[in-house]
Amino acid sequence: MAAQTKSHESMSSRWAEFRLIPRIESDPWTVSFAQTTLGKAAMLAAFGGGILVMMRDPLAWLALMLGLTLITFMPARRRLILAVAPILLVVLQTFWKPLLLGLNLAVIALGIFLYWCTMRWPKSRFGQRPVAFLLGGFSALILLACAAAPQSLPYSILWDLVGLMASYIWFIAYAVSDRNSQPARDLTLELASFHPVWGFTNTPFPKGAAYLRRIEAQNPEQLAIVQLKGLKLLAWTILLAVFQFFWFRFFHGYLHIPTSTEALTLSVHGTPVAWHLRWESLILAFFELILSISIMGHRIIAGCRMAGFNALRNTYRPLSSTTIAEFFNRFYYYFKELLVDLFFYPVFLRYWKGHRRLRLAFATFAAAFFGNAFYHFTRDWQMIRDHGIWVAIQDFRAYLCYCAILAAGLCVSQLRKRGPMPTGFVRGRLVPAMGVCLFYCLLNVFDSGVQGYPLISHFRYLASLFFIHF
Amino acid sequence: MKGIAEIHDFVQSLLTRIGDDGPLANQDSLLVSGRLQSIDAVEIVVFLEENFAIDFAEIGFDREQIDSINAIYALTQGAGNRN
Repeated sequence: MAAQTKSHESMSSRWAEFRLIPRIESDPWTVSFAQTTLGKAAMLAAFGGGILVMMRDPLAWLALMLGLTLITFMPARRRLILAVAPILLVVLQTFWKPLLLGLNLAVIALGIFLYWCTMRWPKSRFGQRPVAFLLGGFSALILLACAAAPQSLPYSILWDLVGLMASYIWFIAYAVSDRNSQPARDLTLELASFHPVWGFTNTPFPKGAAYLRRIEAQNPEQLAIVQLKGLKLLAWTILLAVFQFFWFRFFHGYLHIPTSTEALTLSVHGTPVAWHLRWESLILAFFELILSISIMGHRIIAGCRMAGFNALRNTYRPLSSTTIAEFFNRFYYYFKELLVDLFFYPVFLRYWKGHRRLRLAFATFAAAFFGNAFYHFTRDWQMIRDHGIWVAIQDFRAYLCYCAILAAGLCVSQLRKRGPMPTGFVRGRLVPAMGVCLFYCLLNVFDSGVQGYPLISHFRYLASLFFIHF
Repeated sequence: MKGIAEIHDFVQSLLTRIGDDGPLANQDSLLVSGRLQSIDAVEIVVFLEENFAIDFAEIGFDREQIDSINAIYALTQGAGNRN
């Protein structure tokens, strides 16, 4: 009996130790090899080949690999290389459009200027609330662009500026909110963090320059370890991408299960798919979203690690989350961090200090509702340009509802008294994790990727999942 | 005035609550390393406000200030000097 238990424990321990991709960064020989010229070249070749299949823009690939090669062989010049590379890329991509190039460089210069202002005058009104001023200014710019006569030169310039600001706004917001960090000795990492060479979405990966300074490799051994972790993450990303390919082929190609967008569209047009297909499409959409966010985030963080910054993953075991707040943290870490750093903390530290629960709820709504809605509304600025601000707001109602439900869920999740965790896998992990997955599955009804359907259509679709028709 | 031991106990209790029973040294990174999350940072902020009368709205907030037990202790010493 004792032997059986021992053997079972040994199997569990071996299973826990099992890794699909081995921990090469903890192997001394591999770490030493990665510091040699041959090792560095091999790592770069493997990374370059791997990431080539994931990047569609050859110029961006070339810029990334050129930057990584220079960083790997000249780590002392890392910051300078990272600062120059994105500006060089902007010039190469837009040199035949002088106006766009000029506006692009002006936006970068504005970001640096605002950062300098917050450091120079930290006690000024702007220095105290830089993000509020920045977002207020951006909103004013959008309203100004809406007021310009269509097809005129000011219209064209203003909307070009709105588009550029939309893609830089959160990078600049991080820069100005870094005012409480250790003052920078130079501005190279500030420049590097505006559209970093390893890739970005509207969300800065991984946050701003102050964070980059904290996670930067400080010696050749640390650089080798971080780069090996980057290479490993890229390998995992490729495996996920292959899995995603077969997933789509199997569920949507072979089994013909509609996507959640298709199912919602058919429902809105009065030809709903069968009840079980609605559920299946919703569940699939939930997993597909996790897969696509994982692949996107891992690819960018892998590049960031190759550049010598030991950034945390963007997505980390989201399905193991046992609370709504934990899932939000594990699913899209850098977007959550953006909301926390730029909306949650500024509100939490200033308002309702005497009311602990109200304070937490108010700050959570500021981040998950207001911040989230503002981020997505301005990200889709083309909607505002093409349809006008009122139509854009009307089309945005479903997502506003999404933000409100998410914020309420996060509030409940954070405010609920944490009692002792139920023991056992089923009660302690499986049941709570399934509850969390169900919440986010149903929430996705309001984030179907289609804008413009009346809010009532989303509620009807949600109700129809439970046999309620109205 | 509470000392570094109380801060250590408080941080340890936060880690235990999320199932992290690993060793905790005073210089270990808590937030940048990912051991603690934003919601745990909120707990630290409230702990510092209530026990050391630190007003982050006034002095400015950066997570680096509370990234380790040593950093938190240094912050409380700074607050003590100000008061």
